[in-house]
This record gives sequence, structure tokens and C-alpha cells, in this order.
Amino acid sequence: MKRFSVFLEDKLGLTTSQVEDLLLSKQTKTINKGDFLLEQGQICSHSFFVEEGLLRMYALNNDGKEHVVQFSPENWIAGDRGSIYFNEPSNYFIDAIEETTVVFIDQPFLDQLALVSPDFRTKNEFLLHNHIRHQQKRIQLLLGATAEERYLDFIQLYPNLLLRVPQWMIASYLGITPESLSRIRKALADKNFAG
Amino acid sequence: MKTKNIEIVLPPRPAHYVGDGFRVHNFIPSGFRADMQRMDPFIMLDYNSKFEFPPSEQPKGVGVHPHRGFETVTIAYQGKVAHHDSGGGGGVIGQGDVQWMTAASGVLHKEYHEEEFSKKGGFFQMVQLWVNLPAKDKMSKPKYQGIVNEEMGKHELPINSGIVEVIAGAYKDTKGPASTFSPVNMMNAKLNAGGKANFNFPSHYTTTLLVVEGNVKVNGQEVALDHFVIFEKEGESFEVEASENSIALILSGEPLNEPIAAHGPFVMNTQEEIQEAFQDYNIGKFGYLED
Repeated sequence: MKRFSVFLEDKLGLTTSQVEDLLLSKQTKTINKGDFLLEQGQICSHSFFVEEGLLRMYALNNDGKEHVVQFSPENWIAGDRGSIYFNEPSNYFIDAIEETTVVFIDQPFLDQLALVSPDFRTKNEFLLHNHIRHQQKRIQLLLGATAEERYLDFIQLYPNLLLRVPQWMIASYLGITPESLSRIRKALADKNFAG
Repeated sequence: MKTKNIEIVLPPRPAHYVGDGFRVHNFIPSGFRADMQRMDPFIMLDYNSKFEFPPSEQPKGVGVHPHRGFETVTIAYQGKVAHHDSGGGGGVIGQGDVQWMTAASGVLHKEYHEEEFSKKGGFFQMVQLWVNLPAKDKMSKPKYQGIVNEEMGKHELPINSGIVEVIAGAYKDTKGPASTFSPVNMMNAKLNAGGKANFNFPSHYTTTLLVVEGNVKVNGQEVALDHFVIFEKEGESFEVEASENSIALILSGEPLNEPIAAHGPFVMNTQEEIQEAFQDYNIGKFGYLED
């Protein structure tokens, strides 16, 4: 749980010894590529911190088409916050694009964090607002930006995903067709390739 | 001259697929004591041991992927590979031939079983080796050397022992055609049963041997088919004797002794350069190639 330990220290302000105590009873779980951590209709009871690997959260529309909401590579947290907080059935699926090792985070664990770390509430609020900021920007880009602008934002946010995720999934995340994504990448290459 | 002894003999690890066309055993960097630092300047060696692919209308292989910072050397023992790259290059690596691709600043390429081979199916056997580039050459212009078998240096061994086929560097007075950025010797010892050959390399070079056909004795010690020998970095000379008609791939290169930062298809000197490689790949600096 190396990455999770660093996350607790750096992002949530815990000391090394607090982290060691907290993680004594915690275990990671490794799931295979294609396995689900959440399926539509279930109540999401955990968030999932990614130690190693890559998760995807997506929704299905009425035609059965997948819409990728978020990728979660190492150090990201996946989970349906709405389902967790409001205790309602989820609209989403979370599955593994690669073999993935995750740490399960539930409310009792967060309560424990709040008990041992006086900074936890403030730091957690910061993370929550950072998440909201990200979601707002994503809505704005989907509504108002060109496909190329969305692609350029995507590679800033996820610098090493292009080599890990099939093109059609990236296209789905960007809300464009795989053909459009190819066109954008070809146009960028025409502009930037020196070879 | 002192004998160069075997440090370790590695059996082939369980095979895995690269794409759907290359069924390989990895020796470098995942083999025991075969990490990139120890094997410097050789940073990756995948070995597709002899494997029969059934006929396939759709050629099997590996789709578009980038490389930066090193050279890929593909040695085709059996079967044929077709390749294309984002610089507009392409061609076929025929049986017995070698393709030496200097990825350097970066290319996208894809590799598939050649169409006719794919349709007929048959035995496929190949080595893909990555040779690291010195820091000063990592961002040089990409290039290819297609080396057909006839161009290789052929050194006839005495008393009908066989030949040494030199791809790069030299065996005695016979030179190989490949140009390299740091001293690298690469050769196939094609020995008849009972045939012997002696090899000499500087003691500090990283020196290995892979048995791709038959089986051999190295300094008197049996080394079986598909096994990989790593030599000690002491002594200079060793002897290979074929127990039956055999082929051994021999590699010996001078270590670069530079820091290695590696992430998937990018092998650079620092983490910053790796991040830069990802960014450059994302914005098309490697060009574009249709899958």
C-alpha cells in the first residue's frame, strides 16, 4: 500500500506512524482486467484508491452505448459519490481496464481518519472541491469546447493513458467518435511531426 | 587470455504474447540477474522460440506503438515479419534477415506476420532485442538498417566446424554490416555437430549466448535449446561446441554506464525525459500511423 500511504501523508496530512497504525488492519484487493467493482443498480458502499492499474467508471445509455465518465489510474480514487452519500442505487459501472490493485475506503475508515488527524476535515474538503472543480470543467468542455481542445485537456490530465487505453474508450470519454479522435491525432501529427 | 566463465544459465520463462503474433519468452529485463543495469547496453530481449502458427487470413502481430531512446533489432530465424512506421518506411524482414531500427527520437510502428506467411501458417522463430542508445544519441533522427542474410559477414570455421555469421561488430577478421552507436558484437554461430568455435570479447563487455537451434557446450558445460547464458564480466575467451547441428546467438556489448529511466516503450536517462516522451507522443511528435 505504498501509494496509499503516501496519499494519506501528502494529501490528508497524516504522520507516518498514524498511517502505519491505520493500515495495520487494511488490505489491498487485486482484480482482473474486465472485473467489476460496481454495477449499475447496486449501492456503492466504497471508494477505491488505485495502488496499481487502471479503473474506468462508465454509464450505459438506452441503446447500450457506453459513456466513460472517468478513468482512474494510479493514485486516483474511483467511486460513485452520489450513491455512497445518498445511499441510492448507482447509475454507473466501475471495471478494471488492466489488472488492478485497489484499497477499499468506507465511511468507518474515513471516521477513523478524522479521529486521528485534526487536519483531515479541511484536507478532505479541499479534495472534494478539487473534484467538483474538475467535474465543472469537464461539463464546460463537453458543452462548449472543440474536440481538439478536449483532447488537449485529456492529455494534460492523463499524460500516460493514451498507451494504456483503447482509442474507442478515449473517444467515449471525450464524447466523440473514434474516427474523430483519429482525425484529431493525425492533424496534430501533421503539425508536430518533424520526421 | 583468461577464460570467460558462465555466470548463469537461464531457462526460458513461461511464454506470453506480445500482440497476438509474437509468443515470447522474456530474458531481459525480467530474467534472474538479467535486469537492464546488469545487461547494459542490452535493455530488452524477447525470444519467440520455434512455434507453429496456424494459417490466418488476418495477419497476427502488434498494432501501432511508439519507441524512443533505443534501437530495436529483430532477428528472423523462421517466418517473415512485415512492418510499417510513421516516417513512411516499411518492408518485410525475411527469414534469416535482421532489421535494425534506430528509434532514437521516436517513431510509431507496427509489426505483423507477412501476409503470405500468415495465410500459409508455419514455424515462426524470432529474437527482438533492444539496444540502448548513449545519452547523446537518444534524440537523433530515426533510421533503419535492413540487413539481409547475404550481406552478413561469413566467417568459415576450420575443420568443417560451421560458420559464424556476423551481424554487427566482428568475429576475428570478419566484420558485420550493421553500424552501431556504441561497440556491439552480434553474431550467429552456426555449428555442425562436433564443430567448435572460440570467442574473445573484452572482459568488461556484457556478453550473452542464446541457443536457438540444437544444443551446445559452453566451456564444456551443456546448454540446452532455448536457454540463455550470461557470462561473467571477467576473462575474455570462451568456447562453444555443438553437440548436434546448432545455432547460437552471441551478443557482446560495451556497457554505456549511464542512468536508465524506462517506462514501457520509452528508455531515457531521467524521469523528466520520460514525461517529455509521453507529452511528445500525445501531441503527435512521433507522427501518425493508422492501426
